[in-house]
Amino acid sequence: MSQDQSSVPAEFVDFIIREARLADESQYQEWESLWHDRDALYWVPMHEHADPDTEVSYIYDNRPRIAKRIAQLRTGARHSQTPPSKLRRIISNYELLERTDSSVTIGANFMLLEHRFTVTTWAGRYVYTIRTDAEQLRLTSKTVHLINGERAVSTMSFLI
Amino acid sequence: MTLLESSTDASQLVQPNRVHGSAYTSQQVFDQEMDLLFSHGWVYVAHESEIPEPGDYLTKRMGRQPVIVSRAKDASLHVLANRCAHRGNRICNAESGNASTFRCPYHGWTYANSGQLIAIPMKQGYADRHDAIREELSLSECPRVDAYGGFIFASFAAQGITLLEHLGRATSAIDRLNNLAPNGRVQLTAGWMKHSQQCNWKMVMENNVDGYHALFTHQSVYEAVRAAKVSHQPQKVDVIVRDMGNGHAEIDYSEEYLKLDEEFVWFGRMPREKAPNYVQAMEDAYGPDKTHHSLVLGPPHTLIFPNLFLAEMNVMVVEPVGPGETIAYTAPALLDGAPEMNGRIIRRCEGAMGPSGFLIADDGEIGARNQLGLSAKNPEWVVISRGLESDIADESGIKNYDKSSETPQRGFWQHWSQAMAASA
Repeated sequence: MSQDQSSVPAEFVDFIIREARLADESQYQEWESLWHDRDALYWVPMHEHADPDTEVSYIYDNRPRIAKRIAQLRTGARHSQTPPSKLRRIISNYELLERTDSSVTIGANFMLLEHRFTVTTWAGRYVYTIRTDAEQLRLTSKTVHLINGERAVSTMSFLI
Repeated sequence: MTLLESSTDASQLVQPNRVHGSAYTSQQVFDQEMDLLFSHGWVYVAHESEIPEPGDYLTKRMGRQPVIVSRAKDASLHVLANRCAHRGNRICNAESGNASTFRCPYHGWTYANSGQLIAIPMKQGYADRHDAIREELSLSECPRVDAYGGFIFASFAAQGITLLEHLGRATSAIDRLNNLAPNGRVQLTAGWMKHSQQCNWKMVMENNVDGYHALFTHQSVYEAVRAAKVSHQPQKVDVIVRDMGNGHAEIDYSEEYLKLDEEFVWFGRMPREKAPNYVQAMEDAYGPDKTHHSLVLGPPHTLIFPNLFLAEMNVMVVEPVGPGETIAYTAPALLDGAPEMNGRIIRRCEGAMGPSGFLIADDGEIGARNQLGLSAKNPEWVVISRGLESDIADESGIKNYDKSSETPQRGFWQHWSQAMAASA
């Protein structure tokens, strides 16, 4: 599947592709199950060098807030995702940024097309940290650097 | 012929109990608004905490016009058209910064940050006219800039009511917010979320003080995320909606909170022990009684006409883009000298507000659908009569004890109508 992908081991690329497909298909519970059960950060800063302690982000979800986000989406009354947006994303340019005994950090570019009232293009860079020391791989952080985060963005209540 | 086509007087689009749909959809109405409300009226432009030092500047828009908000060497505030007086190039292209001068990248004309033209390259090309041209061609400047409680407003009109007259009773809302800061000023320094919404700017503003929609638009929040801070059933709570005059309007939780006499109901019912240094700083500044009162009362939920919304511990500003497009900017309102609070304020802002917020993402969606619904031409009118019979006039404006009453919307639209009639 990922023979053409640089130095990043295939199991991580496969994990990332699975995470992307579950997000694209709004399979909320399955997507949530990829996250580590305590150590988790889903972060969409407004710019590349943002400090989340002193600056507001578009999304800065710890594990409990990820659970709330998913629970809200699953009510069927999250109007901005009822019905869910049609989504497909392409991820490429994978790089292994860091590897420790217990985790890997991987960067990649993405382009995401969302169809809701119209087609919206989202693009940027994903940085994932994946825990590798348990039975299954688990996502502990996903950071989304939007190319247009410093300008006005459309409603973004799907899983980006 | 539609109502609007029969008259250029947009004020005819508002009646006491209803608003014509074209007030949200017409380009002609939008263009008049940009002129009458967003150029000649008082418009919120920036907060003093964003430009504390001489030389600090921001680029913003007043209506559709790009402006530079700058603090000059003498600390005076200036709101300048972001347009070179020579050939029209946008002269400042950063979102914020510090500069003593602005130099046009096109032909090198250089202006002081107070707007005065100070240098024209190759001046001999103007021969005898050079000094006169340098005198005449400064950056266009808002003749009136004023601030209240740190909030800076501007108007392109030389004449008109003062800012204090415009704000009227709404100064109490700014005071209420500032009273939560030990030094009496909030700080809007954590950045602004920028959310593009496919609806009219007035839909965003009036929805912010709509006490009726929460149970429906935000049903998913109360089901899955957190309980409402107080009940949404009007008969169970003393929550007031109020037309404060001059288009300002609010949902006022004061009476309910004072009845509960419990601190931080507005902040997730946080026990005061979680922020001991903040409470101490408040008590040092205001004494224990006033501190308790402020912490019970909490922040305002108040619309300040036309484009500012004090959204409890957040501040929202709307920028009209077109009849069906608006940018909502949201910043957390930080408290100077209260680090225990500020981290929480930022996280709560992200949870509720902006394009991914548990609340505002759905308001944006409902706004977009409202704009789509309004393209149906019948019925022609939007109805805002709810609670009209139970409105009570008093020294605070016009209030209603049923928070689902459309009293705030009536106040907003009545003022809109008067302001739009001003030059008809």
